[in-house]
Amino acid sequence: MAEISQAQIERAIRTTCATVLKNELYFSDLDGLAGDGDFGTSLATGFRVIDKDWDEIPKTDIGAMLLKISMLVSKHVGGSSGPIWGTGFMKAAMLTRGKTAITLQDLADMLGSAIEGIQARGGAKLGDKTLLDALIPVHETLKAHAAGDGDLGAALCESAAAADAAIDETRTLVAHRGRASQVGERSANTPDPGIVAIATILHDWCKDCGFPMEATAPELAKAIA
Amino acid sequence: MKKFVNDPAQFVPEFMKGIALANPDLLDFNAEFQMITRKSGPDNGKVSVVQGSGSGHEPAHVMAVGPGMLTGACQGAVFAAPAVDSCYETIKACASDAGVLVLVNNYQGDRMAWDMATEMATAEGINARQFWINDDVAVEDSLYTVGRRGVAGNFFVIKACGAAAEQGKSLDEVEAIAKKVNDNVRTMGIALTSCIPPAKGTPIFELGDDEIEVGVGIHGEPGRRRDKIKPADALTEELFEAVAKDVPFNSGDRVAIMVNGLGGTPITELYVIYAKAHELAEAAGFTVVRNYVGEYCTSLEMAGASLTILRLDAELEALLDAPAETAARIL
Repeated sequence: MAEISQAQIERAIRTTCATVLKNELYFSDLDGLAGDGDFGTSLATGFRVIDKDWDEIPKTDIGAMLLKISMLVSKHVGGSSGPIWGTGFMKAAMLTRGKTAITLQDLADMLGSAIEGIQARGGAKLGDKTLLDALIPVHETLKAHAAGDGDLGAALCESAAAADAAIDETRTLVAHRGRASQVGERSANTPDPGIVAIATILHDWCKDCGFPMEATAPELAKAIA
Repeated sequence: MKKFVNDPAQFVPEFMKGIALANPDLLDFNAEFQMITRKSGPDNGKVSVVQGSGSGHEPAHVMAVGPGMLTGACQGAVFAAPAVDSCYETIKACASDAGVLVLVNNYQGDRMAWDMATEMATAEGINARQFWINDDVAVEDSLYTVGRRGVAGNFFVIKACGAAAEQGKSLDEVEAIAKKVNDNVRTMGIALTSCIPPAKGTPIFELGDDEIEVGVGIHGEPGRRRDKIKPADALTEELFEAVAKDVPFNSGDRVAIMVNGLGGTPITELYVIYAKAHELAEAAGFTVVRNYVGEYCTSLEMAGASLTILRLDAELEALLDAPAETAARIL
């Protein structure tokens, strides 16, 4: 099974920063359809700090790096997204303490632990129209490839497609958690910005790795354009 | 807005610096993490007790650091939870072989920040545990909480836990004391005016000249109802009824009574409230063993007061009697 190096993870985080900053206004526009319209700005505020302070983030090992990122995200991303996304990074950090390379199985485990942490922090579950509706199918995809062919490229591309599919699969649902839950039925027929963000990040990772993917959901197509 | 403020964004670090400079033998100040710790540092033979929450409630939190009280505390911006890294660094700075008890007032933001920080510290091998304080009887759920809010009763939890830690009690024992105090302490407050966070520059809520908010939260959250101002005794009676019936307290109980100013009410008015509260307590058959009249948990310059009653037993009485020193002392 191919190893994933710390350098690859660092590159994925830099790409994530670029994705989030590029889509700052667009993600906020999407959030404005049913939420309070600050999701893009909140996320960008945190990732802008990561981008700016990149050289000061410890790089001794993957865990130390992710732990610092977790704190920066928790501290600088506004609203409930800060602790939610920060918890995801924290859980991933806990499983990579002292490691400078990981396997696809490790990556699947990191995401699995992140999902558990996010569920515990925010109380959401599958079908509540939150970013978990993207992360959970991605986790299943990573697990399957880790147990099967171990092909990182295929795992990444299928993960991106799974997150893309989650946008349309959850579009008609009514949000039960987060700010969008407060508008009830008004949240139906709008995409969840957290799910779009996860799909966009994964698609940009694919492109960065040399596997550009076509988007199905129109919001994703716009975000990766 | 007329306030003694320079750059509103620097308000919190600036007042913390002042507290540290005024107490050079007692406290250390870390500006990066908005953290104040005891100069003597943690003692590996004793449990450390820490807390952190939004600013604007002083002397709560950072001004409650000192021997017999908190080992360390950190601040968020005014009325905002402290950052996760501040909480994490505070636990680390106060790490003790005997363990760390984190006393968290029950607000969602504070709980999420301390949850994460405690988890991170635990992963580093620090024996840290959390306890949530929720003494406000006004409302069951609120703007920033699921469940009751933690307010002035916080002082008694800190005082008792700080004293127990000083005596060398174990983490289990100190946690049990936190629970005992929290189970037996109740509070409710009334706001006469709103207050202005420096960075906001405008009142956090509107209250008419003749209006009061009964059961107000310490961030101006709505309480039980909006009412017209009434004589002090009538307001004190309402607070006393709400608080005393909640545990409930019983005839024969030995109690401590706190009349806490919310920031903008003169101490004379607090004593007007105390006089009535004391009479009501005696009429109900309580023995008032200790009293606390002054500012313990404020809401910036809000005019208003809260009434807290704590039921005592011999153990809690001894813990309240134990010596303590903080930056909030008045001599």
